[in-house]
Amino acid sequence: MLQLLGGAAVLPAVGGLAGCGGSGGGNGAEGSGKGTLTLAYLGDATQQAAFKALFADFNKAHPDIKISATGIASGDWATFASTISTRLAGGTQYDIVDVATEGQLLMSSKNVLEPLDRYIAKDKAVVDAYYAGIDPHLKEWTKKYGSPDGRTYFIPGGYNSMVLYCNTEVFAKAGVELSDDGQWTWEQFKAAGEKINARTGAYLTALGDGAFPFGDIMPWLLTNGASTLSADWKQPTFNSPQAIEAATFVKSLLDAGLAPKLGGTFDAAAQLAKGKLATLGGGRWPTLDMRRLKIVDKVRIMSWPTKTGPGSPIGWDGWPILRASKNKAAAWTFLKWLMTKDASEFYAKVGGTNVPALTSVAASSTFLSDAPKGSELLAAAIAHGTPIPSPKQGAAVQRAISAGWKSALTGLKPVKRSLDAANEQLKPLL
Amino acid sequence: MTISLTRRRTASRPPAVQPSGSAGSRQWVGYAFLSPALLLFVVFVAGPFVAAIVLSLYRWDMLTPAQFAGFGNFTAMFGDPLLYRSLANTFVFASASLITHLVGGLLLALGVNRLKNKVLSYFVRTSLFFPFVISWAAVALLWKYVLDPSFGLLTYYLGRLGVDTPNWFNDPSWALPSIIGIDFWHTIGFTFVIMLAGLQTVPNTLLEAARLDGANARQTLWHVTIPMMSPTIFFAAVITFLGAFQIFDPIQIITPQGGPDNSTMSVVMYLYQKGFQSFQVGYASAVSLLVFAVMMVVTLLQFWGSRRWVHQ
Repeated sequence: MLQLLGGAAVLPAVGGLAGCGGSGGGNGAEGSGKGTLTLAYLGDATQQAAFKALFADFNKAHPDIKISATGIASGDWATFASTISTRLAGGTQYDIVDVATEGQLLMSSKNVLEPLDRYIAKDKAVVDAYYAGIDPHLKEWTKKYGSPDGRTYFIPGGYNSMVLYCNTEVFAKAGVELSDDGQWTWEQFKAAGEKINARTGAYLTALGDGAFPFGDIMPWLLTNGASTLSADWKQPTFNSPQAIEAATFVKSLLDAGLAPKLGGTFDAAAQLAKGKLATLGGGRWPTLDMRRLKIVDKVRIMSWPTKTGPGSPIGWDGWPILRASKNKAAAWTFLKWLMTKDASEFYAKVGGTNVPALTSVAASSTFLSDAPKGSELLAAAIAHGTPIPSPKQGAAVQRAISAGWKSALTGLKPVKRSLDAANEQLKPLL
Repeated sequence: MTISLTRRRTASRPPAVQPSGSAGSRQWVGYAFLSPALLLFVVFVAGPFVAAIVLSLYRWDMLTPAQFAGFGNFTAMFGDPLLYRSLANTFVFASASLITHLVGGLLLALGVNRLKNKVLSYFVRTSLFFPFVISWAAVALLWKYVLDPSFGLLTYYLGRLGVDTPNWFNDPSWALPSIIGIDFWHTIGFTFVIMLAGLQTVPNTLLEAARLDGANARQTLWHVTIPMMSPTIFFAAVITFLGAFQIFDPIQIITPQGGPDNSTMSVVMYLYQKGFQSFQVGYASAVSLLVFAVMMVVTLLQFWGSRRWVHQ
């Protein structure tokens, strides 16, 4: 489920007041366009309902533009990027594809995206207002990692960070108090787990096997000052002493029986609801599970436990227009609409699985109501967050990282040897 | 002499109904009937095959123009240890599949064939064949639950007997055998049905003659039943190997990364990863041609070897 929901964000949020003006159609930046837009996004059945509602809302505002959307239930964003690439190669034409961090560099490097600079220049006031309302990191990262050739290919959307959803009843039953500020260290986390396990029999947390690096690996590395790749994504750093220390700590949780063994079918959300699991890692997306399981009130969000300092992976989605689009004016109208506050609020309300980019919406009751206490920590994490490393060979890089992590945690090889081997495999891929 | 025989034969038969129209138009009718199948073959088999040959000579990442690479993709295969690993895994899987399916299918067919009670016989046949009609996706997920290292049924029941179970899919020495076992459970029904059909074609007269000559059950099986079933066994061997060599679905679902330490990486999964995840379509095409060549060679070897043991 975690993988299905993806690491990066799914929808954009907003900014200032978007003008929907202009008239006429056409293939350029001019006019608002009309006709049908073909759009693709990552989404399972649950998310597709939210997207469909969003598109219907857009259609209300722009009755001349219909959206023909395809939700692709890929297991992760790397697979989504692969699927889209295959479809493009097969001749499928999209006007817009929602691309998460993991696919942005890949897409922008293949010359399939339309530079948005002249569109942005035409609607400068709208875009400037949007950028003024979002965390400056988002704009900076989208430019740095998604549009490295100096042109702009993406309008940044919402984002996700990693936090822990805690079942407060389990903690109370074990006599473990959660700190008011939502912060704790690795040691405190493990000590809490030992108490919980001894007194209630519940697992402390559910650890992934590394197949979903955004949630399984990166939070542990980043809270120890490590990462899989260097900041420019050119060098692997997966075997740094801090990374090895992180993997060793996670393995110790497994070895102590504080997490179920890897390789199984553990349904973390259901077990959290049953009180058999104390914490569950995730971004915004588990909130939907909490609502579905009707446990919002007994769950509280805590920051990821730290070793050397706070850290969280950040994934965000970007909205580009495809170069082959025959209706670029309408596509830009849609992107502008996504930058409106109304669109952002509407998406957050109907079940969006990310943190709205617009800071004001992320701090509003639209986002925070019917959500676990502490949900504001999701947005706060962007301040100390690190973009999830996503080089062009994203899928192959992810495979090497996952295999190394899994090898370390299952004891297939000693931790250092596992990460050393993975690091060597990463070098030719960057 | 020939002429008279022909005349006699013609005279003794009723006149054949002559189709109307010229030979040329009759030919076109035949082609018309063939065309749907031919079209499907061209679109889904011959076309992709030719495309694979062409693509194997290029470097292509699907989104940017392809670059001619000559035989570069083929020479690169020689220095690719993961390709060797995946080929080795695939051979192990296919060989294990071949042996277990042929032996298991034959034994099950022999057993079921002896059942006198028709209702019981039909029940057992249906039960054995039933897993085969379930999709691989469902089977894979089902077995992930059964073999879950913390909560799986097998873990639970063996645990109650005091038996420690391995972490089936995360232990490199157990991952591939686990997949082999699941494949056996899923596919044995198909081999069983083929064997049962073959078994029922063995003439009773031969079996009775053997019994009259004093042959015991083992001798009858070894000297009459199996030789008479050899064409069936050969057929099952060929299709089992070809099917097993293309294994992909359960491995992709159960061990999506190719298992711990690449222990379940099959060659088809490898070419999928190369083509659709690493965007090395040319290289993946070259690997697909290698797979084709290996399967062709093994099948030809099977046909060549069959002259020694298949009853004609």
